[in-house]
Amino acid sequence: MSGAEDRRAPPPGRAAARRPVAPRLGRGLLLAAFSLLFVLYVAGPVAWLVSSSLQTEAQATAVPPNWLPPEPTLANFEAIFRAGERVVTYETRRQGDPATGGFLPTGAQNLLPSLRNSLVVGLWVAALNLLLSLTAAYAIAVIDFRGRRATLYTVLATRVIPDIALVVPLFLVIRALGLINSLAALVVTYLAVTVPFTIFILISYFEGIPRDLYRAARVDGCGHWGALRQVYLPLSLPALVAALTFAFLTSWNEFVFALVLTQNVEAQTLPIVISGFVMDFTTSFSFVNAAGVIAIVPPVLLAVLFQRYIVSGLTAGAVKG
Amino acid sequence: MATIVCEALTKRYGAVTALDALDLTIAHGEFMVLLGPSGCGKTTTLNLIAGLEEASEGRLLFDGRDVTWLPPHRREVAMVFQSYALYPNKTVFENIAFPLRLRRTPRAGIERAVRAAAEQLEIAHLLDRRPHQLSGGQRQRVALGRAIVRNPAAFLMDEPLSNLDAALRLSMRSLIKRLHHQLRATFVYVTHDQAEAMTLADRIAVMRGGLIQQLDTPEGIYERPANLFVAGFLGSPPINLIEGRIEDGAFRRAELRLPAPRAEPGREVVLGLRPEDVEAPAPHLVPLAGRVELVSPLGSDTYAEVSGPAGTSLTLRVPKGWRVREGEGIEVGVDPARLHLFDRATERRIA
Ligand SMILES: Nc1ncnc2c1ncn2[C@@H]1O[C@H](COP(=O)(O)OP(=O)(O)OP(=O)(O)O)[C@@H](O)[C@H]1O
Ligand SMILES: [Mg+2]
Repeated sequence: MSGAEDRRAPPPGRAAARRPVAPRLGRGLLLAAFSLLFVLYVAGPVAWLVSSSLQTEAQATAVPPNWLPPEPTLANFEAIFRAGERVVTYETRRQGDPATGGFLPTGAQNLLPSLRNSLVVGLWVAALNLLLSLTAAYAIAVIDFRGRRATLYTVLATRVIPDIALVVPLFLVIRALGLINSLAALVVTYLAVTVPFTIFILISYFEGIPRDLYRAARVDGCGHWGALRQVYLPLSLPALVAALTFAFLTSWNEFVFALVLTQNVEAQTLPIVISGFVMDFTTSFSFVNAAGVIAIVPPVLLAVLFQRYIVSGLTAGAVKG
Repeated sequence: MATIVCEALTKRYGAVTALDALDLTIAHGEFMVLLGPSGCGKTTTLNLIAGLEEASEGRLLFDGRDVTWLPPHRREVAMVFQSYALYPNKTVFENIAFPLRLRRTPRAGIERAVRAAAEQLEIAHLLDRRPHQLSGGQRQRVALGRAIVRNPAAFLMDEPLSNLDAALRLSMRSLIKRLHHQLRATFVYVTHDQAEAMTLADRIAVMRGGLIQQLDTPEGIYERPANLFVAGFLGSPPINLIEGRIEDGAFRRAELRLPAPRAEPGREVVLGLRPEDVEAPAPHLVPLAGRVELVSPLGSDTYAEVSGPAGTSLTLRVPKGWRVREGEGIEVGVDPARLHLFDRATERRIA
């Protein structure tokens, strides 16, 4: 990272001392200002999401906006976790007043089931993805079989096609399989989307593992399963974690396929249900934002837990050594 | 413990023929060294014997049993690599114990075998460390430990000492030789270091371009090189090669004349003279004179670059006790029996 800095010859002490202070200070300030701007740009929406989820609807929609909650309230979250107890009908939904935050969108009671669906789909995708891509990547990276280049290119080529082009064909296939509106449909679809990429991550990682380790393991008495378990698995933990996280997050965030392949609370995932809130006659922003906060908790937890692995796992393929 | 027989073993990588119909029989308990320049197919041969690569053609037999298509983990060979290839996530103990664990050896047996191997290699105090906490020499000892801890049919070693410094290489060389005496097992050892090959080998197979050039004892290869390549590859400093013709029972090149009674007249030949095959002039020796251009003292010996007769440039070992100076003349004696003659066209030795 600091390669460019390191390679530059250190400036002679005298010259550095003579360099005027003002420009250096100016450069530092400029850098700081831009960094701050960038952080605001990236983190701003998230901060607003969290902040407004702790406000009443009136506070959240006030002009000028309340950047921080004037009186932090958990009413929105309470509403989410209580939504199941209240039947929202055409009549009852008008009882609440949008301005006070008592308003509940139709389908609010679907939020918790969809959270469960999202988790179930995400975990299945992550687990099956690992199993599939680990074995596929080992075969392609390690075993010298006829057609291995072709296999790799075919796998990667499937990812060149934009997802949107696959929606209709996939819908037809899934319908023919009788899987419409099931979690299995989503798991299968997300595997098709994520496995090629995780295979690619793992292959580049495996190729960085010295070939002699494979040879040693084989003559020491390992078959291919043994070599995979004893050498490649323990040495590629960062890449595995990166692949798992990627698969889970892709499945967690996916919208288009889920929209087409699922129709009701049985199988709908979080993004679909949340987006439904905004399509209501009246939108309760504080409620939607509270739902948004819940939606980002698992990814944030994952990122915090595995941040060390994710960075090294994703870059390892790029810079071998 | 095994006799290894390669029958017309061939390995092709696309258009490249890495190994060309290799015929080689390695006797039970023999120390066979494969010697040759980079890319000549030494590693390929080992990989085929170990089963890490599939032969394109030919057969491989262990003790008469055809193992050509047996996967590596069924062949019971042990291998030591130039890169050591220790499992970085395992301790030294676990590295050495690994082959035994895969064979489901009882716990107590593993403990005993690993300790015994570690003591033999003087690494017993390192058993709890991980490979990255070891020096190169220690790592290679661990790799040897992993090989000797079980009873393999053969030990395959691919330039195991090439990454070590000169002093360590010498001590490890004698360690390997001792191991061979103790284990009485079949060793196949790959190197491109001729000193290593000469000191370790029962027999040496000199290879080039996927072909064996000569298969013989170290003495045989040194004393009677089968062709120009082998002659030039062994010996340090390398053999002097002089092109000329056979006329009247002698090697001729301009005014240079050396007796060669058995060669047929008129033949275009190359004469080989090893730098160490010259002595102080004596009646039974043929004199050879020249001017010293450069003196290279090596401590034990001194070598001189000499511009000889007929525009030749020769490297000669200065006889013991002589003092030579650059720019001065020198005259030495050559024993005609120690000259090597090769056909210039076929590059083969002329008997
Ligand atoms: N996987 C491969 N694909 C294509 N060609 C290969 C492969 N492995 C080896 N070769 C070729 O086969 C020939 C023999 O290689 P090999 O590794 O046996 O040489 P070597 O004698 O061990 O050399 P070195 O002393 O450099 O290790 C070389 O020309 C090499 O380029
Ligand atoms: Mg090699």
